[in-house]
Amino acid sequence: MPTIANAHNDLIHDAVLDYYGRRLATCSSDKTIKIFEVEGEAHKLVETLSGHEGPVWRIAWAHPKFGTILASCSYDGKVLIWKEENGKWDQIAVHAVHSASVNSVQWAPHEYGALLLAASSDGKVSVVEFKENGTTSPIVIDAHAIGVNAASWAPATVQGDSNSQQLRRFVTGGADNLVKVWKFNNDSQMYVLENTLEGHSDWVRDVAWSPSILLRSYIATVSQDHTCIIWSQENNEGSWKKTPLQAERFPDVLWRASWSLSGNILALSGGDNKVTLWKEDLEGKWEPAGEVQQ
Amino acid sequence: MVGYVGGDPYQSPSFGKSLSLRVDGGVNALSINPSGRDVVLASKQGLHIIDLDDPFSPPRWLRHVTPWQVADVQWSPHPAKPYWVVSTSNQKAIIWNLAKASSDAIEHVLHKHFRAITDINFSPQHPDILATCSIDTYVHAWDIRSPQRPFYTTSGWRSGASQVKWSFNDQNVLASAHGNDVCIWDLRKGSTPLGKLVGHGSSVNSVDFNRFKRTELMTGSNDGSVKFWDYSKSCNEPIKTVRTDFPIWRGRYLPFGEGCCLMPSVGGYNSVYVASLAKKEGTEGVNDSKLQPIYAFKGHNDRVTDFVWRSRNRCDSEGCDREFQLVTWSKDCDLRLWPVPEAVYDRVNFNRHQELGESIPSYEYVTYNREPDIAKHQTGSHSKRIRENFVSTSGLKSKKDVNHISWLSGVRMNYDSSPENIFKERTLQNLGEEVSSLGHKFPKVVFEKISVSTGELIITLNGPCSQNDPDQYIFLRIDVKVPPEYPSKGYPPVFSIEDNGNLSNNRRESLNQQLREICTKCTDLGLYCLEPCLRLFLGEKVNLEELGQNDEPLLNFEIANQLAMEDLSSLPSSEDHTEYLSDSSTSESEEKGNSSVLNLGVNLDGQINRDLTFDSTPVPTECGAIWSPNGTLLCFFASEGKQDRKQQAMLRLASRDTIKHQNGYYKGGIHKSKMLTDNTTPDLTKVQRPKRYVETIPSATNSLGKSTHLTSEEESESEYSDSFEDDWSDILVNDIGVRTKLPALRGRVSKTFESVNSESGKTTESKKVKNMVITKDFSHLIPDRKDLALEFRFTDAPQGELARHNALVAEKYGLEEKSHCWQIFSDLLMTNEEIDPYNLIWDNHPMGIKWFIKEVLSYFERKNDLQMLAMLGAVAANTAASVLATTNTVKLDPNQDNKKMKSTINFNPNENPNSWRTDLPSYLSLNNGVAPSFFESSKYRYSPDEISIKSEDYFSPKHYNNTSTIAPTVSPPISNTAVSATIAHNQHTVSRIPNVTIELVDDDVLSAIRQPVRSLLDQNDAAKFRFYSYQYAKLLYTWGLPMQRAELLKISFESTHKGTLDTDSRISSDNRDIFGEMETNWEENRQREANFHSCNYCGLKVTRNIFLCQGCEHVMHASCARDWWAQSEQCASGCGCLCPEVLRTLQV
Repeated sequence: MPTIANAHNDLIHDAVLDYYGRRLATCSSDKTIKIFEVEGEAHKLVETLSGHEGPVWRIAWAHPKFGTILASCSYDGKVLIWKEENGKWDQIAVHAVHSASVNSVQWAPHEYGALLLAASSDGKVSVVEFKENGTTSPIVIDAHAIGVNAASWAPATVQGDSNSQQLRRFVTGGADNLVKVWKFNNDSQMYVLENTLEGHSDWVRDVAWSPSILLRSYIATVSQDHTCIIWSQENNEGSWKKTPLQAERFPDVLWRASWSLSGNILALSGGDNKVTLWKEDLEGKWEPAGEVQQ
Repeated sequence: MVGYVGGDPYQSPSFGKSLSLRVDGGVNALSINPSGRDVVLASKQGLHIIDLDDPFSPPRWLRHVTPWQVADVQWSPHPAKPYWVVSTSNQKAIIWNLAKASSDAIEHVLHKHFRAITDINFSPQHPDILATCSIDTYVHAWDIRSPQRPFYTTSGWRSGASQVKWSFNDQNVLASAHGNDVCIWDLRKGSTPLGKLVGHGSSVNSVDFNRFKRTELMTGSNDGSVKFWDYSKSCNEPIKTVRTDFPIWRGRYLPFGEGCCLMPSVGGYNSVYVASLAKKEGTEGVNDSKLQPIYAFKGHNDRVTDFVWRSRNRCDSEGCDREFQLVTWSKDCDLRLWPVPEAVYDRVNFNRHQELGESIPSYEYVTYNREPDIAKHQTGSHSKRIRENFVSTSGLKSKKDVNHISWLSGVRMNYDSSPENIFKERTLQNLGEEVSSLGHKFPKVVFEKISVSTGELIITLNGPCSQNDPDQYIFLRIDVKVPPEYPSKGYPPVFSIEDNGNLSNNRRESLNQQLREICTKCTDLGLYCLEPCLRLFLGEKVNLEELGQNDEPLLNFEIANQLAMEDLSSLPSSEDHTEYLSDSSTSESEEKGNSSVLNLGVNLDGQINRDLTFDSTPVPTECGAIWSPNGTLLCFFASEGKQDRKQQAMLRLASRDTIKHQNGYYKGGIHKSKMLTDNTTPDLTKVQRPKRYVETIPSATNSLGKSTHLTSEEESESEYSDSFEDDWSDILVNDIGVRTKLPALRGRVSKTFESVNSESGKTTESKKVKNMVITKDFSHLIPDRKDLALEFRFTDAPQGELARHNALVAEKYGLEEKSHCWQIFSDLLMTNEEIDPYNLIWDNHPMGIKWFIKEVLSYFERKNDLQMLAMLGAVAANTAASVLATTNTVKLDPNQDNKKMKSTINFNPNENPNSWRTDLPSYLSLNNGVAPSFFESSKYRYSPDEISIKSEDYFSPKHYNNTSTIAPTVSPPISNTAVSATIAHNQHTVSRIPNVTIELVDDDVLSAIRQPVRSLLDQNDAAKFRFYSYQYAKLLYTWGLPMQRAELLKISFESTHKGTLDTDSRISSDNRDIFGEMETNWEENRQREANFHSCNYCGLKVTRNIFLCQGCEHVMHASCARDWWAQSEQCASGCGCLCPEVLRTLQV
């Protein structure tokens, strides 16, 4: 497995492989984004994207059906959209509706179109659709008073079948220690608050909605309070059940949560520079499944 | 103050001021109302009408969404038609009537050009005449009284026309630019040009007639020159040429004096230049010169796309006055108004107070920014309305077109009319800016109504104003009246709190009292006071003493005034300040006095701290793990070195309290942290990590300060300050677009990074690893495997064989559990396939196949094994495969059928309809879609029966005793057990069993479809399996297995289809006719068409070289189609269409 050291001059804040696992994008406090081509063990730096005026927090690849497109968000309050065409990377759009650091970006399930969710420290989340005619129509929602630290889409519940109603949802976590679930209302064309989940005693740092819909929907939230909570909901309706990942607190703050594509394994990382993996056993308890250290 | 919105340009609050308006949305063209009140901006979204006298009210938006950029927009210059605006929409020109409702404002569409229109020009003489030109080389002149076709047409033939202009003085003459040449046309002389101005070395972008000299015009070209011509004298020799360093996009005569205004298409510092054309002594005879601008309007940070002049004039007993203001639109999304300095008037020999020979038409000074009262103007013909609805997507959103607060924040007005420092100073200038800043600062406070021009605000908020319980929040609606003179002395805003049962009178009184005090105090000092008032409502203590000193800088949170920086830094952090600040900043300000070396840095810090007060950006992630779609885990870590440093920073933060009180700061700091690092580990857990990003910044620099000598720090500090200042001025010059608190941070941020870099420059000599990205393969944890996906089969064979094959595959990979599962499944299926009349009894039996599927489903669900779930579902649901198998091998004999029927009685009646439904797709794919409606309706008819017999014991002997025969067509409600006993062995006469299934099996229609296939899944499970296979299909796609994906989706598509049919039939009544069903089918198809922009094989968008099936209209890339048809006969979308067959029949 490839190991890339010192890709950036400063701290790395995100690293994401594209849909096919061939391209790796990393972003850093050095305000740049680097694109690597990964082939087995080998990797090759193909591009350094600069354009942000502050540290770049997160990056996200769009579904390949939209082209080779990368979204990045930064402390400068902007979300930039980059596109590769014929080996050349260009910045194709700027999404600048936020007045403070944008802490997370995520593309919606591709069934919804080129829809981007951005969460910002100005307390708002924005959903912006990049339409085919080149226009955007951002929807900005006041989500968490002090700041939104992360936002994550729910997986698409039905196939790309236009006549059935899609339950389009996402979850946000904020500096008000709350986790909120939002639902798209087709009549008002707005996102409305569906649930507010209370459980953390400090800032919620990351939220991750499990990409798979098996028995139930899962949301993992990690917080500055050294805990991770798994929220689950049956059949996409009703109340959310709160399950602490483990009874005792983690040794340090938790920063990041990530589900594997089929929703089996949860990877957590935090201030102790350590990655832990978790899976649910048959009784519905969460057990450690591995650990990665530098 | 902006208090007036009236009907006189001389009371305009924006005339003579500089103003900047941010308008997002890709606006490309600009025009102005001749009265100078409104401007119209045109973009792909439609038209925006902005009232320049009330820039704070959001624009009126006339929606017209097109994929084409609007090339030009023109406001009619005639007082007769002040409400007409013409805009281009590719090859059409659209005439809008702004006096009509926005949804119905299109008055005419001029359509004769066959390629994009590039320019429109109203005739200066006739309100109804205008000219258009297009890249189709034609120039058309239109009379709008008969808009069907142009009354005059000419063409430059060789190259497209870029500009067309009417002569100001000769109503029959117009000029158009074609490539490098300009043609002069006379309406009376047909399409023979009056003259052709030849001389430019590159294409001509701009043509403008002289207002006063009949036969003179100027042209501007990409060759960087502006030429002035007199076509009555010579068409080959310009009378004058002015050369510039940049290609000219627009060059026009000034509407006043003798001068011209030039605008570059690229370069030229994004400015608009004014040059004088007045004859100077000693320059006669020189007709080729360099551009010597007498003035430049500089400040946009992207290229200016158009400019217009706003004018006002007055001629009365006191004398005459004419005044102009430049309005520019730039690609940086700013609309700007620039005052014209007096000196410019002088240099172009223009006397503002000179009486004009001719009278200027008087325009009604009204705005079209508001929606007209006449809601529906039904004057337009019906066909026009349809057309309009067709082109624009009106009705998408209702009212909230523009967010008022964000619109407000884009408005900048400057009272200082000297343009040198426009757009630079960033203090609050007016109520609009104050409201906008409040809106950003207090997101929870809702501004229900904002009317800056009249000074009315309605604010709603939840405040802790309850007398008894300080934690109880009361909803308050507050009406604020702001006098126009606000915030000058003696004009405080008036607050009135709406009556509210929760608010006690005492409390209201005291609130009002406090509000009055605050307002009076602030306005006496000329300060804006809404913020402290809002804070009061929100339950904060407002200290009247400090208001005077602090409030304005506090309010001015966006970008600090550069000059005021000193003052700000010396500002002691007041009480309500520190509430928000981390203690780091307090210590910072205490440190300030300690070292003169650090002063500058601290100044900067002080500067930023204020901005950072509200910055809640969390500490950045330094380590993380992200799953990639292919099952590998991507981890990134901070380096050891970084870790150390961070810990130090943390320690420092933790020990700050103690440090604070020590005089020798550095000594103390080092001492402390050394002490702590010695016994770090136990302490670490207790250390409170910094939470906010901004808290880590100072600590980083301070730790740098510790690690380097003071002298080097001094150097570096000065370096930073330079770079900071550079950044700062950059921001001020270039970055006006960013009107947030962020730019102020930029300098700070870059500074930190610089310091980090310089540090790393020192330390990395040891080649220390600073950060690391590791990919770890954890695919063993994930049950879904690509190798299995490649080998598992789920179509093209009888179910039993498929399961057996999969069992072998699983065994090969050593997956015992899965292998066993498949094996059992296979055995069950095999027995199922045997024509054993009694085997179906086992279906619900604890050892039966249905039970097995349910168990397996719940097991693998708990195991989160998507692959197994999807594959099992696919095999179980893949009735299509078994239909093929059975129809080939099994002949229906009545006896067998009969027995099957018998066995179906044993189904739980509740499940029966489900099993039927799941069967439907297979019929659907085999039949024409009419039959299912029969099934559905007939089934529906019987549903009450099923419920009624729910608890019956079918094995009781009386079933066989009472035999009554009921004709299949009759369907009375059956509620006794007698009927359920109709299971006679006489198949054609007996059809009344309590159970739907049987009825249907014996139906005539059904018998035409041979043998129904029982499904192994009940409906809930089928729905689940549908999800699973859809999910799994995604997984297959990421694994690069589109073939398998399409195969799988084929199955799931069928079940989806069933799903929709299901709901249809449930909603509809049982006597629904066939046509109803047909119609829904048809609609469904139409929706599909819309969806099929993408290939049904690989899922990517199709562009060219497509394969389109004529039968089902599904598309594929040509290359994908080749792959697919090599292996399959059926459509890749899973619609069941045999596309090659269709093709063959069509060809025959």
